[in-house]
Amino acid sequence: MLTGGIAATIPRVRSGEISGAMTDDPERFEELVREHQAMVFSMACRYLRNRALAEEIAQDVFLQLYRKLPSLESQDHVVHWLRWVTAHRLIDHSRHEKRRPQSPLEDAPEPASADSMSDADPMLSNMLRELVAGLPENARVVMILRYQEDLDPMDIARALDMPISTVKSHLQRSLALLRDKLSRQKGVGL
Amino acid sequence: MNLEDELRAALRRDNPSPGFAERVVARAQSSARPARAIPRMMWAAAIAALLVIGFSTAYEYREMKAERASRDAVVALRIAADKLNIARERVLRRETPADTREN
Amino acid sequence: MRRLFLIAVIAGCAAAQLPAQLLQLRITGLDGLAAKAKESTDITLDSNLLKMAGGFLAGAGKDGKDGDTIKQLLSGLKAITVRSFEFKEPGQYRLEDLEPIRVQLRTPGWSKIISSQSKDEISEIYTRMEQGKVAGFAIINAEPKELTVVAIEGSIDLKDLSKLGGLGIPSISVPGQSKDSGKKGKQE
Repeated sequence: MLTGGIAATIPRVRSGEISGAMTDDPERFEELVREHQAMVFSMACRYLRNRALAEEIAQDVFLQLYRKLPSLESQDHVVHWLRWVTAHRLIDHSRHEKRRPQSPLEDAPEPASADSMSDADPMLSNMLRELVAGLPENARVVMILRYQEDLDPMDIARALDMPISTVKSHLQRSLALLRDKLSRQKGVGL
Repeated sequence: MNLEDELRAALRRDNPSPGFAERVVARAQSSARPARAIPRMMWAAAIAALLVIGFSTAYEYREMKAERASRDAVVALRIAADKLNIARERVLRRETPADTREN
Repeated sequence: MRRLFLIAVIAGCAAAQLPAQLLQLRITGLDGLAAKAKESTDITLDSNLLKMAGGFLAGAGKDGKDGDTIKQLLSGLKAITVRSFEFKEPGQYRLEDLEPIRVQLRTPGWSKIISSQSKDEISEIYTRMEQGKVAGFAIINAEPKELTVVAIEGSIDLKDLSKLGGLGIPSISVPGQSKDSGKKGKQE
């Protein structure tokens, strides 16, 4: 369960990275969007398995950032804030979606993108994305932050305001589950 | 390749469709404009409402004062008229002999 | 007595030098009577309030029998002051209480036009003339259980004024006015 507010969760400033208060200057904002769009969109896309919906949520997150910018103090603060808000947005969204009947179109899987297929087995990657998207909400976010954002468990715990033991437990259980499912579905042993 | 590496590859960052940043900036600017305009409009509405309330209160107060003044003026004139007539009557009574008054 | 004489002399000298506006009668010395009175009326209307009253009555629209007379009378007035006290028993005030007022009325400019004095009743009417017209008018009416002093500044037709008397209830329609509205507190 994710708890606590932004102020309590997001580290305000990291040493050596203070760049002064962010402004709501449109050009600076556009730069920030370009810089972080892949992170926010990918988190949403991996979590939801729906590109259109992921873009919509990513747009909302950036609009929220635009209003919040004057109170954010550094680049690092922006990145942490984006991860925190995106994670919570996604969890809130899936909880909300559970309460209403879904249309078949909304369940359509994301099309595979060219750059995500460079080295890996496209079939396996697609299967893994599907399996991750099928994990429980908190475990799904933990897995995305661990393997998409390459955050260590401590950073994930900080980003999600979650005890580190819970993060580790989510990671272990999710990996075990994925291994099990992969071996059962395709006979892949990893 | 182990599972963790496969996961890193599968969950690698992906970009949104082209023009995403422009769309976000356009939306931010269009949503920011009304957000900034609203407080100005609210200020104007609040000032207008205060002026209306102020003027109507002043008008009502003046009307109340005028009504009270008119009531007092009528009462004052009545008292003055009564006392004027009493004084006249007393003078007349004093100047007219009793037998004449009775007739 | 010496004090009163001094007041009269000062008032007389002042009256000879001061402009007519400053000859306005000031009703003083009666402040303590309100506490003893069963009922008291205290009305003070200056020129601004009289203008407002005239405007209000003109706007009220519903003129009673005396409506025109009242409006006519108000149009020439600059100030009205009324102090009236009604007591439960006789002897609640002394005729000396009226001296500060009567002293002012003995100054040049004022003329006593009616005076009726009996054992326990006094009725006095004073006028102040300016250029052949009544510019001030004062009434003192003292009875065992009632004392009334009225001071009016401005031109007033006494014939018109006397027409208003005797009815007790104002016949002009004033919104919100009750029949006994004469018994009330100070206006300003």
